[in-house]
Amino acid sequence: MRGAPGARAQASFARRHHLFWWFRHAALVAWSMFIMFPIYWMLATSFKDAGEWVTWPPHWYPYQPTLYNYHQIFAFATMEKELSRQATEQVFSIWGAMGDSMLICTVSSLISLLMGTFLAYSVSRFGVGGKNFRYLILTIRMVPPIVIAIPILMYYAIMIPYTTDALFGTRISLFDSYTGLGLLYTATTLPFVIWMMLSFIDEIPYTLEHAARMMGAGRVYTIRRVVVPLVASGMVVTFLFIFILNWSEFLLALTLTHPNVTTLPVLLNKFQSAVEGRLYGPQAAIGTVITIPVVVLGVVIQKHLIKGFSFGMIRK
Amino acid sequence: MAEAGARPSGGAAGGARIRAGRGGGLAAWLAQERVFRLIPFVVVEAFFLLLLAVPFLLTLYISLLKWRANRPFEQAFFQGFDNYFDVLSDVEFWWALARTFYFAGVAVLLELLIGFLLAMLCAQEFKGRRLYITIFLVPMMVVPVVVGYNFSMIYIDSGPLNEVLAPVVQLFGGDPRIRWLSHPIAAQWAIIWADVWQWTSLTFLIFLSGFSALPPQLIRAARILGAGRWQIFWRVQLPLLKPVIVIAIVIRSMEALKIFDQSVLLTFGGPGNSTQTVAFYLWRQVWQFNKFGFGAAASIILLVMFSALIYYGIYLLVRERATLQREGG
Repeated sequence: MRGAPGARAQASFARRHHLFWWFRHAALVAWSMFIMFPIYWMLATSFKDAGEWVTWPPHWYPYQPTLYNYHQIFAFATMEKELSRQATEQVFSIWGAMGDSMLICTVSSLISLLMGTFLAYSVSRFGVGGKNFRYLILTIRMVPPIVIAIPILMYYAIMIPYTTDALFGTRISLFDSYTGLGLLYTATTLPFVIWMMLSFIDEIPYTLEHAARMMGAGRVYTIRRVVVPLVASGMVVTFLFIFILNWSEFLLALTLTHPNVTTLPVLLNKFQSAVEGRLYGPQAAIGTVITIPVVVLGVVIQKHLIKGFSFGMIRK
Repeated sequence: MAEAGARPSGGAAGGARIRAGRGGGLAAWLAQERVFRLIPFVVVEAFFLLLLAVPFLLTLYISLLKWRANRPFEQAFFQGFDNYFDVLSDVEFWWALARTFYFAGVAVLLELLIGFLLAMLCAQEFKGRRLYITIFLVPMMVVPVVVGYNFSMIYIDSGPLNEVLAPVVQLFGGDPRIRWLSHPIAAQWAIIWADVWQWTSLTFLIFLSGFSALPPQLIRAARILGAGRWQIFWRVQLPLLKPVIVIAIVIRSMEALKIFDQSVLLTFGGPGNSTQTVAFYLWRQVWQFNKFGFGAAASIILLVMFSALIYYGIYLLVRERATLQREGG
């Protein structure tokens, strides 16, 4: 095992190194192909015509590339008979779900970002909540979502309507509403915001705020003019990260919304159980459409992903 | 902290002077140190209390009722702990739980091994390293539902997997159009591989940053003292990486135990119940069979079970993070 000194050892080291070079690239290329293939297959399917979705032997690339699937999901209204005859009479438009997803994810991520940033500031500067607060907040994230979904369902569908009925005389149900799902998304992403913003705020020297305060700036003014500009890029990264999380969330959206509000992952699932059999092509097109923006965002904030996913446990 | 507590009077006075024109009594009161520091805390805690704690109390109450959602809530009546006995004596509940742990265990083990190997291969600088890293991190950002869909496309009977395997299968005279997702064990592995496909990227990323944070002086010192590659790996690098490994295990296990999306998209729990995880099982009980009391009891039981696990997981995280910071500083 021990590397002996001398020229012969040097030569054997070089040979071994060369072998190692091949081994390394072989392993990395193999894994890259494993990673890229499902994505490629989705892209290819999304450009395939209805007849090519499932054929034996399968077509490795679309023989007759078509934008029909994209036409179908981006249709504003019922399509021309000619076009829609190719697959099914039923036309699934993505616009409603896209709007719902965008609205819920953006608003709840923004609220979560605001609340989480202020709390992180408070925890970092004043030690609010005790020494272990930053760890306690993780429990919310670690509880399986189904355990949260069942109580929330009963809360939204029973308790809140009954309470509002008694208090104001009208039944307000948060079940299947933008507010209901948005509130829950805010709650589930708060731990991530607090962790990521803590790691950003902890890096700012306290002396800056101290100086501002000594010169007579108010508290809010200090935060707005001294702290926020310094953590602005961190806030953007955090926002993008939790936006991705909310964008991909499936269980809560599936369980707490049914006919009215539909997010994109739920829409994709609906195609799965379509009556006329599965619509592979439009499904692939929807998959592509929801994946591409997220992957682009992800590549932009790649360096910071680890802070989010590992709760700031690992520094990079 | 001590510094912050030492001069609230001066700061508050300064703040009050500048804002004397618009700030009223309320603003001055809010700007006091002891009030101001608590504002975000109170807001967030009130939010959690209203949105999470109250529903749990409600769930505790409903778990004691005999009630199905196909009847109005007023007709539900109190029946004590029957729901809890029902859940605990349901064999399928325990099977689903065991299956969840089985999936999570196998998937996390594979993710750790593959992620560690890939990170080791990418630890040093070489040509093309950045490209590989970018590719390896892509799955993490793909929507889980889309992953489920993608894998279902690959596993269908006239999909690419069967096409690749066709020469081998035909050699033995079999029909190459295997229905993978109709076989219990193959379906279970389909779910595990979908999870590995997506989350090896995370373990890879964690280990990669672990490798890059290793102090190079120690490794150089070991090499000068005559240690071989294997010795350096086992005696120097691995012990230094231990906290990172523990953190990766805890974070991944906690996430893997939530497994749900792939069960729905790939197999819908089937064939039979062979890919029914505990989340999927509960979803079925509540949203398909409307057994609300049963679901409430089950979610309380699960919460109790998981809270022990979560407590231990967080304890480990805190401990290893402290180790990391000691090493870093």
